[in-house]
Amino acid sequence: MTEKTNKELILVIDDEESIRDGCRQALEKSGYAVITAENGEEGIRIAKERKPEIAFVDLKMPSISGTEVIDILSRDIPDIVLVIITGYASIVSAVESMKKGAYDYIPKPFTPDQLRAVVKRGFDHRNLKIEARMLRTEKEEMERNFITFVSHEMRSPLLVIEQYLEALRTVAGGCLDKNANDIIDRCNKRIHGLKALVEHWLDISRIESGVFATEKKPVDIPGIIMRGVEEMAPLYHIRELSIETDISEGIPEITGDEESLVRVIVNIMGNASKYTPGGGKVSIRARHDEYYVRISISDTGTGIPQEKLPFIFEPFYRVKGKKEEARGSGLGLNFCKRIMEAHGGKIEASSQVGKGTTFVLELPR
Amino acid sequence: MTTKKKILLIDDDSDFLMATKLILESGGYEVFLAEDGKSGVEMVKSVSPDLTITDMMMETWGEGFTVVSKIRSIEAGKDMPLIMLSGVDLQGPYQSFEPPEESPKVDMLLHKPVKADDLLKYVKRLLDN
Ligand SMILES: Nc1ncnc2c1ncn2[C@@H]1O[C@H](COP(=O)(O)OP(=O)(O)O)[C@@H](O)[C@H]1O
Repeated sequence: MTEKTNKELILVIDDEESIRDGCRQALEKSGYAVITAENGEEGIRIAKERKPEIAFVDLKMPSISGTEVIDILSRDIPDIVLVIITGYASIVSAVESMKKGAYDYIPKPFTPDQLRAVVKRGFDHRNLKIEARMLRTEKEEMERNFITFVSHEMRSPLLVIEQYLEALRTVAGGCLDKNANDIIDRCNKRIHGLKALVEHWLDISRIESGVFATEKKPVDIPGIIMRGVEEMAPLYHIRELSIETDISEGIPEITGDEESLVRVIVNIMGNASKYTPGGGKVSIRARHDEYYVRISISDTGTGIPQEKLPFIFEPFYRVKGKKEEARGSGLGLNFCKRIMEAHGGKIEASSQVGKGTTFVLELPR
Repeated sequence: MTTKKKILLIDDDSDFLMATKLILESGGYEVFLAEDGKSGVEMVKSVSPDLTITDMMMETWGEGFTVVSKIRSIEAGKDMPLIMLSGVDLQGPYQSFEPPEESPKVDMLLHKPVKADDLLKYVKRLLDN
């Protein structure tokens, strides 16, 4: 028979010889290849070597228990379908094993027909699982390519326009009067705005496809605040805003992605500087309790009307403003919200028009 | 008057080539253009430029380095000053950029867009050496 090697492989791990033989006979008759093991250790070794599609595991065996075997096999052998053979239909241990990764159970004694029914269900389940995984991988791959494609297609023309403006200034140089130079400056400003929009949008796509914020390492909270402050200091200086920090002692490290959390702080500080008139102040406070670390960033700026507050975290939502510096993408806060959620945390805003706005970042410890 | 120094520009974007050519010409250089790595390498042979500026070529990741290796293996390109341009911010938090193990010698790495003054300054410095 040529298809012999293509036969689906089933492993039976049971210390009772009669069960092993019974299973073998019934399943071989239905066209499956069957291998057996009489204890847990042997079963695990054979399973790792031969990678069966389905394994039957007796719960009550000497030395390694069936539950342990299930634990190891479900972890080490991808897509394996595990079925428990249980002597005294003891629901409790069966349920326990199902939690650990078993898919089904069959109580002793069982007939060949019952056995074949379980096997068929097992294969159906396995095929569905594999198909779902393939679809998921395909979808992720498409998303990743899409991000790469769009980022390139959007950034390249912007970059070329900037280079042309540089060339224009160089070539025309002395012939350009002040008005012409102003126009070039304005073009550059708008290009920067568009570039920032693309970057924000890319950041958000990266979070959605799981590329961003997947790093999980210890993060030092005072450290990320200081990084944000240092990055924003020059801009704050230009806009004549002061920064005040108040970070309490002994703030514990949290687990997360340092880079994306710094982006969040920079984003909020950037907003605060856009909507706070010169002479104003931005205060950053960090505190912790038993469960959370909280960072609050308050400004003395224009504030956000109460009825607009619920929407500011929505993508592309912008409270209308005339000030030129206040131009933005409307994606910044949405980005922050998603990063916080990826960390199991949240972001909230409170505000009083004319007085200022406070953003609170809450991260679980 | 001395003859103009020759600069070869390799980039797959014809507009980027045009803009950069204008800047370099304003600095008094003779500029040659290649729109892909292969013809760039050919032109190193036929033109013998005094300096080459090549894109890192992001679409086929790292293609720029292959081009540089090829240039370095030609007599005319062995010791020629070479500037590489990148379109991505390599400092960014999420670009996992790693140059190839045996990275061929590049004299300078610049980020696009390049300021005209910077470009002319660096080109002059490399040519004067
Ligand atoms: N500190 C703040 N003070 C006042 N308004 C703010 C502040 N931060 C955000 N906003 C409002 O929330 C809107 C959404 O913010 P964001 O998502 O960062 O987009 P934008 O790029 O427009 O700043 C802004 O348009 C602005 O009206």
